[in-house]
Amino acid sequence: MGSVTQRPIKVLLAKLGLDIHWRGVVSISRMLRDAGMEVIYLGNQFPEGIVAAALQESPDVVGLSTLCGNHLSLGPKVVQLLKERNMEDVLVIMGGVIPPDDREELKRRGIAEVFGPDTPVKQIVQFIEEKVRGRDPS
Amino acid sequence: MKREGLFNEKAIEEIEKARALWQGECLRPEDLESEHLLKSASGIPLRLIYTPEDVRDMDYLRELGFPGLPPYTRGVYPNMYRGRPFTIRQIAGFGSPEDCNKRMKFFLEKGGTGLNIVLDMPTIRGYDSDSPQAEGNVGQCGVAIDSVEDMKALFQDLPIDKVSVSLVTHLPSTTVILLSMYMVMAEERGIAPHALAGTTQNDFLMETTIGSAPEILPPRHSFRIQCDVIEHATRILPRWNPVSYNGYNLREAGTDAVTEVGIAIANAQATAEELMKRGREPDSFLPRFSFFWDLHNDFFEEIAKCRASRRVWYRVTSEKLGAKNPRSHLMRFHVQTAGITLPSIEPLNNIARAAIQGLAAVLGGAQSLHVDSFDEAYSAPTETSALVSLRTQQIIQVETGVTKVIDPLGGSYYVEYLTSELERRILEFLEKVKSLGGIVTAVETGWVHRLIADFAYRQQRAIESGELPIVGVNYLPSDKKEPPMEIFRYPETEGRQRAKLKELREKRDKVRWKEALDRVRECCHEGSNLMPVVMDAVRARATLGEIQQIFRECFGLWEFPLK
Repeated sequence: MGSVTQRPIKVLLAKLGLDIHWRGVVSISRMLRDAGMEVIYLGNQFPEGIVAAALQESPDVVGLSTLCGNHLSLGPKVVQLLKERNMEDVLVIMGGVIPPDDREELKRRGIAEVFGPDTPVKQIVQFIEEKVRGRDPS
Repeated sequence: MKREGLFNEKAIEEIEKARALWQGECLRPEDLESEHLLKSASGIPLRLIYTPEDVRDMDYLRELGFPGLPPYTRGVYPNMYRGRPFTIRQIAGFGSPEDCNKRMKFFLEKGGTGLNIVLDMPTIRGYDSDSPQAEGNVGQCGVAIDSVEDMKALFQDLPIDKVSVSLVTHLPSTTVILLSMYMVMAEERGIAPHALAGTTQNDFLMETTIGSAPEILPPRHSFRIQCDVIEHATRILPRWNPVSYNGYNLREAGTDAVTEVGIAIANAQATAEELMKRGREPDSFLPRFSFFWDLHNDFFEEIAKCRASRRVWYRVTSEKLGAKNPRSHLMRFHVQTAGITLPSIEPLNNIARAAIQGLAAVLGGAQSLHVDSFDEAYSAPTETSALVSLRTQQIIQVETGVTKVIDPLGGSYYVEYLTSELERRILEFLEKVKSLGGIVTAVETGWVHRLIADFAYRQQRAIESGELPIVGVNYLPSDKKEPPMEIFRYPETEGRQRAKLKELREKRDKVRWKEALDRVRECCHEGSNLMPVVMDAVRARATLGEIQQIFRECFGLWEFPLK
């Protein structure tokens, strides 16, 4: 660490599918920017749209926010579509109202981490930095 | 004309002298220096104590008066809860209409006195259960409604001519369809329109601002449909509130109490002005306006908010809209306790939070109430947690004694000060919206969205820094792993809804169906009231998604202004 200026970590955030609750994801998007990351907030997108944007933007991280119960059906679909496009290196994380049992299931299906309500944003920042910087050769 | 204040000048002078003595002899200097550092949740600086000095100019009859009389600060009805207890209106909504019907019956059996239905995301945003966009969301977070047949199943065997029904329809564009389905369902059951009592939400800010979505109608068109529903329903449904101006979801998304009430009233005023342009007398529709507040943690400010909002609405209806019918001035409102305040950590603590918020609603004179469940941050409520919420309401209603006397906090120097201060700030907010060109323009330009996003961001920072304490979360954080708790699992719904839709589409009269949809399309372009043609389409078994798709094609889509 302590290397020469690194390029900022690039994060693509989306509201998953039809979920209407944007408070959390918009606040987190600003706080990740405060932490020096480059953030693109896509608004509401379905998995195909999220992966199309990822192809264009080559983010380090894709963050999915949902509070309305579509996490198990649409979350892993994003992971699968990324894999099909050879983007399995992209770190996919989720946040929102997601029951604990489902968090384990999502992790088994390729979501790197699931952040529930009450997660301090610094914890999310730390997780992203460790995972992304940890695998950077620089 | 200035009337005599509540206290004469001599009495105030004596109180001031006594205060000076008390400050000098009893308080420490640091108490005085730090006096105004503490603020209410909406930023009103707070004194150490309130006395007659703080309400010295109060004119009792002009500012408080009696319940059921202007300016309605003390309540909308003369006898308040002695005449009619607040309606216990717990939310039900998950799975198929058949599943949700059981939960509603459970509430009525346990003493609920009103029904309150939330819809799944595809229904809220106007997609059928078999559309690709609905994948993974059918029957989640609310009940799936695709056609009038679903509306029939939802209310099967429920006494809708006796119990009032709230349909939490969010968007105007789906309200016009869902209220039509509700009316056609009643028509086919042989229940007359005048027997239907209830509320639809129908708020264009829900369509364009508070909720985001992949496909959003432009604010101006959404506002038009909001007005269409109100214009039509106030003609044919004498006991229906066709709109519930939604402060609740604004607050949940991120505003303080002043903005919550200010935006809702700005929308109500804009609607009234639009309907008056369409030739309607204000007294022909204002009595059917209703409001929806979020009762948050700051106990006294929330009570003051309820009182101040009634007074502001009276000022608006009488001074700005020229209403004469006393019923036009009544701000009747539903309350839901604040879901956003209920963390996932140590969830049972949420029973205490929701009970205190529910108590504030009753002290504020709410007409109906939903108390959130302790498992809010996990899923929809289980039957167990839903029953705790219902029982919380009953405990407030019959055990605490708070409903015996009207507006029991009226006359508290502190609550009266807060009420007047909130009134002043809400009126100021209304002026601000007016200066921006009105609420529809303030939405179109993204001003309201930015206001909400900025507030939410500041709150999150305040939580992270500990400035905003949440017990068990950032204040004395829980160090124990949560014991496993029962979590509500949604029943599989998509397959069942798909099968019903397939059958409906095969069986319906295709010629009649197509003609009815064509008329909806023509009406969108002509600009005449949409509701009659939508009702015909619903009778012809058009689905929610089919009608909404016509709206999207005719009105186009709008880009949500937050990046």
